[in-house]
Amino acid sequence: MKIAVMSCIHGNYEALNAVLSDIDAQKADKIFCLGDLVGYGPYPNQVVEMIRSLDIPTCQGCWDEDIVEGLNSCECSYPSVLAEKRGRVAHEWTNQEIHPETRSFLATLPMVVQEDNLCFVHGSPHSQHEYLLPDIHAFTALERVLSTGADVMFCGHTHVPYVRALSEGTFQVRISQPNADPDQTGRFEAPLKRLINAGSVGEPRHGRTDATYVLYDSETQDVALREVPYDYQKTCQAIIEKGLPPIFAWRLAQGMEYAERAEDPTHVCER
Amino acid sequence: MKTAPINLVAGPSGSGKTSWIYTHFHSQQSPQALGAYLALGAQIPVDASYLATESPTLEVLDEAQRESIAAVVEMRLAEGAAIYVEIGFHIDPLALVLPFDPGLCHRVAVLPSSSEDLDLKNWADDVVPAAEVYRDFSATQIWRSPLTGQILDPASLDTFWHELTQGAYGAVHRAKGIFDLVDGRAFYFNYVAGLPNTQYVELKVPRWLKGRPERFSGLEVVGEGFDQASIASTLGDCGLEDDAIAYYQAQIKESLGEQAA
Repeated sequence: MKIAVMSCIHGNYEALNAVLSDIDAQKADKIFCLGDLVGYGPYPNQVVEMIRSLDIPTCQGCWDEDIVEGLNSCECSYPSVLAEKRGRVAHEWTNQEIHPETRSFLATLPMVVQEDNLCFVHGSPHSQHEYLLPDIHAFTALERVLSTGADVMFCGHTHVPYVRALSEGTFQVRISQPNADPDQTGRFEAPLKRLINAGSVGEPRHGRTDATYVLYDSETQDVALREVPYDYQKTCQAIIEKGLPPIFAWRLAQGMEYAERAEDPTHVCER
Repeated sequence: MKTAPINLVAGPSGSGKTSWIYTHFHSQQSPQALGAYLALGAQIPVDASYLATESPTLEVLDEAQRESIAAVVEMRLAEGAAIYVEIGFHIDPLALVLPFDPGLCHRVAVLPSSSEDLDLKNWADDVVPAAEVYRDFSATQIWRSPLTGQILDPASLDTFWHELTQGAYGAVHRAKGIFDLVDGRAFYFNYVAGLPNTQYVELKVPRWLKGRPERFSGLEVVGEGFDQASIASTLGDCGLEDDAIAYYQAQIKESLGEQAA
């Protein structure tokens, strides 16, 4: 079965349409979405409507979570005070813009979606806010995949698409408890796992304006990173017309994200 | 090149007038050589602060004290100091009347080789070749913002500077500034359109770790059609609040092994 996995649409309806057309042309059997349907971009309701109408299995992203539960991320979500201020403006705008049914739908999204030996998360299985960057420590990456029980884990959030093979290995765990001795030791073998980041539809971070997503063939295990051009100027125009900060439009047109990414790949937001 | 005690330095924005002064002053034989520097039309002392911190024996003269400048210059000349007068690009050097003996003045034009500014070439005793820089100032806009007391978040400043110099707020041909960062250091940023990179210089000043700095910082932007309000607003968003400053300064002091005074 050929599946398409997309993530981080961020209210960019033009980009979503282009990616869906490309998925159609690639004849994918099923589509999965890794969340962040809203935030920064000008069309949060339309994006959610499209995902709902196509009945695409979707997990909850950090922006989706913040719209449901309120913005209370710790400072790890933003790498600079400027990005944080811009993020707050985008959150407030989105919060005002979205319809009640959009918010209700976002609230129903699960943190993890599983299908057979595949697992789909936004940031990591532990948090929508955790960044699994391409160079994350192999042990950390493997622990995250193993915790889901899947062989292949798809994630998003970093906006950087990549495929990471996690080689077979042996784990030894020693548990020390204050009132128990001796220490307990356990060993287990970890088979080959894969971590695949789907990049971003709405605000990719590869320095170009094209949207990205991945195709995965569950029989051959082949992965294809797709890059799809779209009319980003329409999105830029809508950003300005709808009253979002014009700097978002400028950054998107330069192939940059609306704000910025956090740098610490292993930090988990402790709200 | 002929030498004279008073160097009048003119040229387009970003041509390298301040750099020429720095190099010329430091090329003098004695490291203890005295000098004095006056920037005409600068309004905020970005270049003066940069030169003063990099060259402790170079005295910065204040244009606002114009009446006393002639007397100060005379005194410094008697002490053997070299005098440098940097003429802002928007001031016509030919129309400039200075209270100095013209016989003591050495006129230097810092000009790109392709420059057709015959007036400036004729005015100069020496023409120093400069990098090709933007020179059409028919619609020039200058915006200056003192920032003294502001402490900026480095990551935010990095983003802002990239946006500013890449045209996010309009066409910027030249931008230079001095910024105080949260780790107590101060940096000089110098951008000229057409040159490959911004010059970043850490200034030789003590780390400021006691609240808001009481030393000069500020930004000057030259270009056309740029959005001053957005620049000011974004720059404001790069600044840290008092509680954040206190928190980070305490951490820096601890990491440096210092005790709070």
